[in-house]
Formats: sequence, C-alpha cells, structure tokens
Amino acid sequence: MPSLPNYLRTNRKQSALSQEEVAFLLGMKGMDKGKKVSRDESYARVPTLEFALAYEAIYGKPIRELFAGLYEQIAPEVSARAKIISYRKNGSPDPKRQQVLSELALRHKKLVI
Amino acid sequence: MNQTTSKQIRILAIALSANGFGYCVMENHGMLEKGKKRAKGNKNLHSLSKIEKLMKQFLPTALVLQDVNATGCRRAPRIKALHQQVIGLAAKQKCKVALITKEKSRITLLGDVKGTKHEMAEFLAQKYPVELAGKLPPKRRLWETENSRMDIFDAVALAVVFRMIEK
Repeated sequence: MPSLPNYLRTNRKQSALSQEEVAFLLGMKGMDKGKKVSRDESYARVPTLEFALAYEAIYGKPIRELFAGLYEQIAPEVSARAKIISYRKNGSPDPKRQQVLSELALRHKKLVI
Repeated sequence: MNQTTSKQIRILAIALSANGFGYCVMENHGMLEKGKKRAKGNKNLHSLSKIEKLMKQFLPTALVLQDVNATGCRRAPRIKALHQQVIGLAAKQKCKVALITKEKSRITLLGDVKGTKHEMAEFLAQKYPVELAGKLPPKRRLWETENSRMDIFDAVALAVVFRMIEK
C-alpha cells in the first residue's frame, strides 16, 4: 500500500496547532496564509524546500516521513537512474563510485514501508 | 540494503448516523484523522459524496462499517440504503469491506455485551488521550438526545475492533 503524499495534517493535529499558526511559524505573510497550509495538506501543491525544512523543524520529523508518499515515489526513480549510470562505461572505473552506485541502485528497489 | 517489508494497512471506519456520519482513518502507527460530517437535505446523497471524497483523499485498503443487517440491529431504512450504497462505492474503488456488529465491538472492547456506548467512549478516550480525550461528551441523560460527537467514537471503535481482529 502506498503512503499518503504527505502527513502534514496528521502531524499538525497531533501538535494541536491551527493552520494559521503553522503558516505564521512557516513565515508566510498575508491575509489568507492559512489557506496555503491547507493546500499543502490537501496535496494541492508541493511546498518549496524552505517550507519543507520549516515543516521538519515544526513537527520534529524528517522530511522523508512528512512527505512519505512523495519520497516513495522519488526514491525508486533515483535508484533506477543510479542503475543506468552504473552501466555506463567510464574511462577509469573507480571502485568507490561503483560501490556507491550499486548500493543506491539496490537501496529502493523493493521499498515497502 | 535498506528495505522495510512490514505490511501496511490503512483503515477508513465509518459510523453512519441520523445526521451524517463519523469517520476515523487509521494507519499502522496510529490514528491519522477522525471527525464527523453533517448532511442536510438529501442526506444519503450528501453523505455518499463526502465518503467518496474521504476515500479519494486517504486511499484506504479497508473500509469498516457497522453490520446494519445483523440480527438485533435496528437501523432506519435510510441508513440501510446508504450502507448498501457505501458498500457499492467501496467495491467500485476495489477496497475491502469489513462489517462489524455492535455486539462484536462491545465484546472486543469491553468484554461485555451489555456495556454502554459511553463506557466504550471512555475506554477509547483512555486509549487515545491526545486525539480523543477532549472530545469525550458528557454522559447522556435519559431525556437527552445523543451528542453528535459520539459518531466519532463509534467510528474509532469500529477501526480499533477491526485492527484487533486482524491481529
């Protein structure tokens, strides 16, 4: 079963914070700043790296847990690309590079959280 | 290799009531969401569209409902019709449906068929203090109607019983 794209709403409710308060903590400005948090929570938009890190700071959980579904989607794609690079012929094969790439290619092959 | 192979299950439990429904979403590590939705006018149509929205949002692997056709269960014809529609909706979305009787809930949670809804709610509030303790309604007196917040506890009870049975 795939994870939900993000768990922002669950974490916010556990922290007993309102969307307005989270928006303030994120440093958002304007009248409808709570709506931006609402859009993040309802998967209508993917927050920027700054906001994602701010969410990590607010909820005290790593980004990969907060955006579990997104991570599960991206990680296998990275692994697939690592596999492609590892097959490419390199002038002077570096064993360290090969090890890193093969580990990366296998890491998220069968990722089931 | 960094592989995690634990089986994950996401449950959406729905407790249909006279004014709408209560719902609870649970995942392996705990409760994701709980709440109640009100329906006015064509209650079944409104309830069904709200349930469909919840199913699209949370993509549950199992939908848990009360068994309204069990012997000794008295529910309004409207609720029974809505129940069938919800089962149809789950089938359309290829979601497993589990039906739990009122007696099963009480035996599993309280160990007594004669336990009251309020006792079940108190038990759940103790089990999930952060999420539910603040929502626990006062004990209903004979002349009072049921507090609408009890729908949430009914839904949570269904989800908890389902998880206990699955284990």
